Amino acid sequence: MDRSSQDLELYTIPSYSSWFSWNNIHEVERFSLREFFDGSSVTRSPRIYKEYRDFIISKYREDPSRKLTFTEVRKSLVGDISVLLKVFTFLEKWGLINFNVADNSEKNSYEGSARTASFGVEEEEDNWRGRVKVEEGAPYGVRVVAAPNSMKPIIAPPPPPSVAVDGGGFVGEVGESGFKWPPLASYSDVYGELMQQEKKKALVCGSCKENCDSAHYQYTKEGSFVLCEKCFKSGNYDKNKLADDFKYKDSANQAAAWTDAETLLLLESVLKHGDDWDLVAKNVQTKSKLECIAKLIELPFGDLMLGAGNRKSRYLDVIGDITNSRQSGLASNESQESVKAEDPGPEVKDKEQSRELTDTDQSPELKDNDNSAEHKDEDLSPELKDEDQQKGDAKNEGPPLKRLRTGPTSDVGNSLMKQVARISTMLGPHVTASAADAAVTALCYENQCSREIFDDDDNYVDSKASPETSDQRRVAEVDNSVEEEEPNQSEIQGISCVKSIIPQNLRTRAATATALGAAAANAKLLADQEEREIGQLVATMIEAQLTKLQRKLKYFDDLEQIMGKEHAQLEELEESLIAERINVLQRIFSAGITKPKEQTSTMHQTDVVQ
Amino acid sequence: MKSHSPWGTAKNPVKFRIPTADNLVPIRLDIEIDGQRCRDAFIWNPSDPDSEIVVFAKRTVKDLKLPPAFVTQIAQSIQTQLSEFRSYEGQDMYTGEKVVPIKLDIRVNHTLIKDHFLWDLNNFESDPEEFAKTFCKDMGIEDPEVGPAIAIAIREQLYEIAVQNVTSIRESRINKKGRRGFEHIQASKASGNAVDLFKLFGNKSSVVRKRKEWDVYEPIVDLLSNEEVDALEAKEERNTR
Repeated sequence: MDRSSQDLELYTIPSYSSWFSWNNIHEVERFSLREFFDGSSVTRSPRIYKEYRDFIISKYREDPSRKLTFTEVRKSLVGDISVLLKVFTFLEKWGLINFNVADNSEKNSYEGSARTASFGVEEEEDNWRGRVKVEEGAPYGVRVVAAPNSMKPIIAPPPPPSVAVDGGGFVGEVGESGFKWPPLASYSDVYGELMQQEKKKALVCGSCKENCDSAHYQYTKEGSFVLCEKCFKSGNYDKNKLADDFKYKDSANQAAAWTDAETLLLLESVLKHGDDWDLVAKNVQTKSKLECIAKLIELPFGDLMLGAGNRKSRYLDVIGDITNSRQSGLASNESQESVKAEDPGPEVKDKEQSRELTDTDQSPELKDNDNSAEHKDEDLSPELKDEDQQKGDAKNEGPPLKRLRTGPTSDVGNSLMKQVARISTMLGPHVTASAADAAVTALCYENQCSREIFDDDDNYVDSKASPETSDQRRVAEVDNSVEEEEPNQSEIQGISCVKSIIPQNLRTRAATATALGAAAANAKLLADQEEREIGQLVATMIEAQLTKLQRKLKYFDDLEQIMGKEHAQLEELEESLIAERINVLQRIFSAGITKPKEQTSTMHQTDVVQ
Repeated sequence: MKSHSPWGTAKNPVKFRIPTADNLVPIRLDIEIDGQRCRDAFIWNPSDPDSEIVVFAKRTVKDLKLPPAFVTQIAQSIQTQLSEFRSYEGQDMYTGEKVVPIKLDIRVNHTLIKDHFLWDLNNFESDPEEFAKTFCKDMGIEDPEVGPAIAIAIREQLYEIAVQNVTSIRESRINKKGRRGFEHIQASKASGNAVDLFKLFGNKSSVVRKRKEWDVYEPIVDLLSNEEVDALEAKEERNTR
C-alpha cells in the first residue's frame, strides 16, 4: 500500500506497537478482538475489523496532535457501538491512535513540539523522550554530571542535527567523517584557521630574523619586508633598498593615536556607511580600514553598530583582540603586577600585524575561506621556517612572548584542536588539565563509554610522536610543549592525533568541552587579575591621599614655625618700643619739664569728670 | 455467566435478559403524593434479594426529605417493575443475530442529547454505562446526571426491545402450530426495527459510512437556556395530560 509506506515514516507509534501493519492483522489483534475472528457473526469479520481499524487510524493521523474521540469516530462507522468502542479502546491502548496526545492544551503543545522533532523516528524515540531532548543547545559533552559509568560499552551518540554554518567549506574540511559542526562550535572554531594564519605572520625582521616587537620599519615598496629598529639604524639591509623607502611604524604610538575627533568621525561614518569599511576609512582619512574596524570593536558598543554583514572579518578581529588582551594581561600578570595599560606591547603589536597582514593578504585569505587545507599549506609553507625560528626564540624568552610560541604552532589541519591547544597554553597547565579531565569525564558519562578510550590514547600518541607529515609534526610539537607542563593534557592532544580511534564526534566534543572549560577558567583568572588590579589601584590612591595629607601637615608645621618667629619678633619690637619710651620719659624728667604736662593731664581728667 | 462465551450465537437461543454485560434492570419512578412529585431513574440488579427494595426506598425518602408516605409507593413501584422483568425470564428472546438501532433523544436538566447508533443484542459484553461515560467525556459534558441518564435510556430501549422479542417469539410459536403462512410475516415483524445485517455488513458494502452521512449520525448535544427548559417542561406537561 502506497499510503502505508509513506505514513509509516511520518507518524510516531510506541515501540510495543511495532507489530502494526496496514496490510496484515497481527496475532495481537486476533487475540484481543477475538469476536472478529471466530466467525460468530456476519457483523464481525476480519474484513470489517480491518476497515474499522484502518479508518480509525487514518482518521487519527489526519491530525495526530489532537485527541481523537470515540464519539467522533463512531458517526462514520456502521456497527455495534460496543464493538466499535472495543476496537477504539484497543487501538488507543496500543498507542496506534492518540499516542502522546494529552487532553490539556498545555501538555498538548509540549507533545506537539516533541513530535515535530521526532517525526521519522518510529521507535525508541519513546524511550528517549523525556530523558533526552532534541539537541539544540549545548553539546552532550558540556554538562556537569557524576562520574562516568566506566563499564558501559561505547555507544556512538547519534549525530546531532546539522546546523547551517556560514562558510560551509570549513565544515566539510574539519568533519571529514561526515561529522558536522555541533551547534556550539563557535566562529573561532570555524574560522580559527584564518585567525591563526594571521597571527602566524608575526613580524620578523628581514635582516636579523628576530621578532620586531614594538617598533619596526616597513619597506614601503614591498609590504611584507620589515626591519627591526636595531637593524635599520645599523643600516643592516639590502643596499638596493633606500632608507627613505622604509616607513617607521611604531605600533604603540599608532594604536594610541585615536583622537577624540577621529573617533567621532569614525562613529559618524559608520552610522552613515554601515559595513562599507572602504567608505568609512575614506571618511576618517587619517586611519586605515583595519584601524577603523579595530577601533570600532574596541569601543564598548562597537558590536552593536555593526551589522551581521561583515561578521566574518569583524569576528576575526574580535577574537584576535580578546586573545591578545588575554595574553598581555596574563603576561603582565606573570611578570609584574602592573596596570595593563602600561604594557601595551604585545597587544598593540598584534593589532598592527594583523592590520598589515590583512592589508596585503586579505583578499586571497577570504577567498580561501572555503578551500581545503592544502591550499593553505601552500600559503603557509614559506613561513614555516620563520615560525620555527620564532618558536625557538619564543621559548627562550619570557611570558610576554608566549603567544608567539602558540600562535605559529596552530595548524590548518584541525583548527579546533589548535584552539584548545592555544587556549591551554595561555592558561596554567593545571587549569587546562582539570578542564580536560572534567570534559572527558563528562563525555564518558554522556556517551556511556569507558574512560579508557581516552587514557589509551596517551600511549598511542607517544608512539606516534614522530609522524612524517609536517602537519602532524607540528601537532606533536604542540603536544610536547603542552606535555612539558602537564602530561595530563596529552589527553586532548591525543584525541587530535588519533583520528581513527575515537570518533570524530567524540574528539570534537571533548575538545569543545575542554576549550570551554579552559576559557571559563581563563575568564576566572582574568577576573581575578582585574580584581587585584583594582585593589592595587585603590591602594595607590589611598597612599597618594595620605601623602597629600602628610604634606599638608608639614606645611602647616612650617607655617606655625614662621608664625612663632614673627610672634617673637613682634614681642621683641614691643619691648624695644617700651624701652624707647621709658628712655624718652627719662629724658623728659631729666630735662625738668614735667609740671606743665602733668597739669594738662589733670585738667583733662577733671573735664572728663565734669 | 451461564455460557462460556459472552457472545450469543445463532445456535443457542438467548434466554431473556437485558442484552448487556450486566443484567441490570432500568427502573423508573414517577410518583406524586399530595402535590409532591418524585421522579427518578436508576438500574437495579434483579438478583438482589427483594428485601433490599424497602431498605432502598426508606433511604431514598430520607435522603430526598420526602414524606414517609413515599416509602411504600417507591417500594411498590420498584417491586412491580422487577416482577414484570422477572416474568419474562427464562423465555427465549430471539435466535440469530440482531443489531438494532438505538435512538437517544433525552433532556437532562439543561443538556439536550440527540444521537443514534447500532446495538448488537448478541453482544453481552456491551456496557451502556461505559458508553455513556465515554460519550460525556468526548462531548465535554460536565453535568454528572447526564451519563447515568444516557445509560438508563439505552437500557430502557434494550429492555423494551427484549420484551418485544420475547412476546413476538411466543406469538410465532403459537402461530407455528396453526397457520404456517403467518410465520414469515411475523418473523419479519418480530425483527421489527432490526437492521438488515447483510445489507450493512455484506461483502459489497463498506462499514465506513459515506462522508455525507457523517453529519446524520453525529450526536447532537445542546445546552439549553433556562427559558428553553421551562418551555420544554411545560410542553412535556401538556403532552402527558
